[in-house]
Amino acid sequence: MIDPVFMPLRELAGHVRARRVSPVDLAETFLARLEKLGPRYNAVVTVTRERALAEARRAEEEIAAGRYRGPLHGIPYGAKDLLATGGGIPTSWGAAPFRAQQFAGDATVVRRLEAAGAVLCAKLAMIELAGGMGYRQPNASFTGPVTTPWSRAAWSGGSSSGSGAAVSAGLVPFAIGSETWGSILSPSSNCGITGLRPTYGRVSRHGAMALCWTLDKLGPMGLTADDCGLVLEVIAGVDPADPTTSARAYRYTSDDGPRRFRFGVLAGALDGVSEDMLAAYRRSLDVLREVGTVEDTALPDLPWEAAIRTILQAEAASAFDDFIESGGIAGLTAPEDHFLPYSRDAVLAKDYVKATRIRGVMAREADRLFERFDVLVAPGRLTVANPLGQEFRGGMRGTARDIMGAVGNGAGLPGLIVPNGFGERGLPTSLQLMSRAWEENTVLAAGRAIQARTDWHTKHPPVEP
Amino acid sequence: MTDGEAANAEVEALFALVTARYGARLDAQQREGVRKAIEGIVEQARAVRAVRLGNADEPTPAFRAYRADEPAR
Repeated sequence: MIDPVFMPLRELAGHVRARRVSPVDLAETFLARLEKLGPRYNAVVTVTRERALAEARRAEEEIAAGRYRGPLHGIPYGAKDLLATGGGIPTSWGAAPFRAQQFAGDATVVRRLEAAGAVLCAKLAMIELAGGMGYRQPNASFTGPVTTPWSRAAWSGGSSSGSGAAVSAGLVPFAIGSETWGSILSPSSNCGITGLRPTYGRVSRHGAMALCWTLDKLGPMGLTADDCGLVLEVIAGVDPADPTTSARAYRYTSDDGPRRFRFGVLAGALDGVSEDMLAAYRRSLDVLREVGTVEDTALPDLPWEAAIRTILQAEAASAFDDFIESGGIAGLTAPEDHFLPYSRDAVLAKDYVKATRIRGVMAREADRLFERFDVLVAPGRLTVANPLGQEFRGGMRGTARDIMGAVGNGAGLPGLIVPNGFGERGLPTSLQLMSRAWEENTVLAAGRAIQARTDWHTKHPPVEP
Repeated sequence: MTDGEAANAEVEALFALVTARYGARLDAQQREGVRKAIEGIVEQARAVRAVRLGNADEPTPAFRAYRADEPAR
């Protein structure tokens, strides 16, 4: 008897291809988990049972007929509920005023996954409008606060909250999330899974809710770095419907021959990090030294966070201008989302343009660093998952430092979260890895090297009753 | 005027702008929240303004002229 729950994609795909596991049975297994366990974590907006079974039956027939499409054929997944889906399946953007919203067709990413034979089983919960209104608490989704499967009293992270929780709890083998600033990395860290933020322009956003046109990215969230690579290869690629996508071809390579990495640690990357996260980070450095060198480095001392925050606030205000002007924000869940968007009128045009010019300097300076380093490393987040009732500060607000987040998102660089232990309250800690633009294979190779030497990614929360 | 006084004056001016536009929708607590948010915006704007750039340091991504029949990058 093969148990597909918590099975890495490559292994699961092997069983599907050899017809030891039926795509229909797989879909039924994960649909049942989504329906039974999803509400426990507030992880799910819509279970797409009818579509999933139709896609699974098609996969089963094709594989039986010898038409195997690749490693995602017949594999269930979930999509953050900001990805458009046709066929009458709502796309809520996590926000009460949009809970019944429908689109005529699928987002490009959903279409590409369907073409690869993957089976859409659920639209997953998210922070309302991907957090763009300035939320400061976990209770900022019309479906309720998503909890990490590691503790019912702690937040999943956001804004790809349900994507993180669903993978962590074994409700889906993998999920798609989005990141403007931290929205893949934060839930991956809080939920103890592996999440990849691709290079800006690697994956089409067509059909995805726009929060910030020059910062939004879509990426995979799974159990391992290898899982993320397999999914990225399917969803990456140029799309005429998204003019920011690059024609650079992406081919995932997992050839793990002998390789030494040059790891760099950015000055400021450890500022404000909690003791438990730091302890896990220091243990990870020992692992990194088995496969490479670790050296400190620095970027010029410029206000990277302030510049990227300025861009984010201005673009988010413009993306939702009509909604904000109409007073529609009063229908959102988080009380602060009812008024914070009005403050964005205070972002002046000249400051926005200046911030985009600083961003150009940032991109060049960051690229220069990668002449000396393959991968920048840091603790995944400042802390383990926040308690559910606790307010927090994030990238959208104030003067909080997050040099890796600002540079990673500002320069559009690929980033990876891998779990690296447990900290306060028994919650997952994580390590963050970042590579040069278009070097997803480098950051994934580093992730695989770590996961070949540790077993944190094989630890799963006790989800059964 | 000191630096702090200049920043406060800017906060007040921008707060007046925002409340002129949306004040009727805001209660006292929300107004205070808006003011704090504007303080943060002004602080980050002043950090951005303090950076010295060269004349040729252009915004990124730069605008690109559009033609429907032009192949994607």
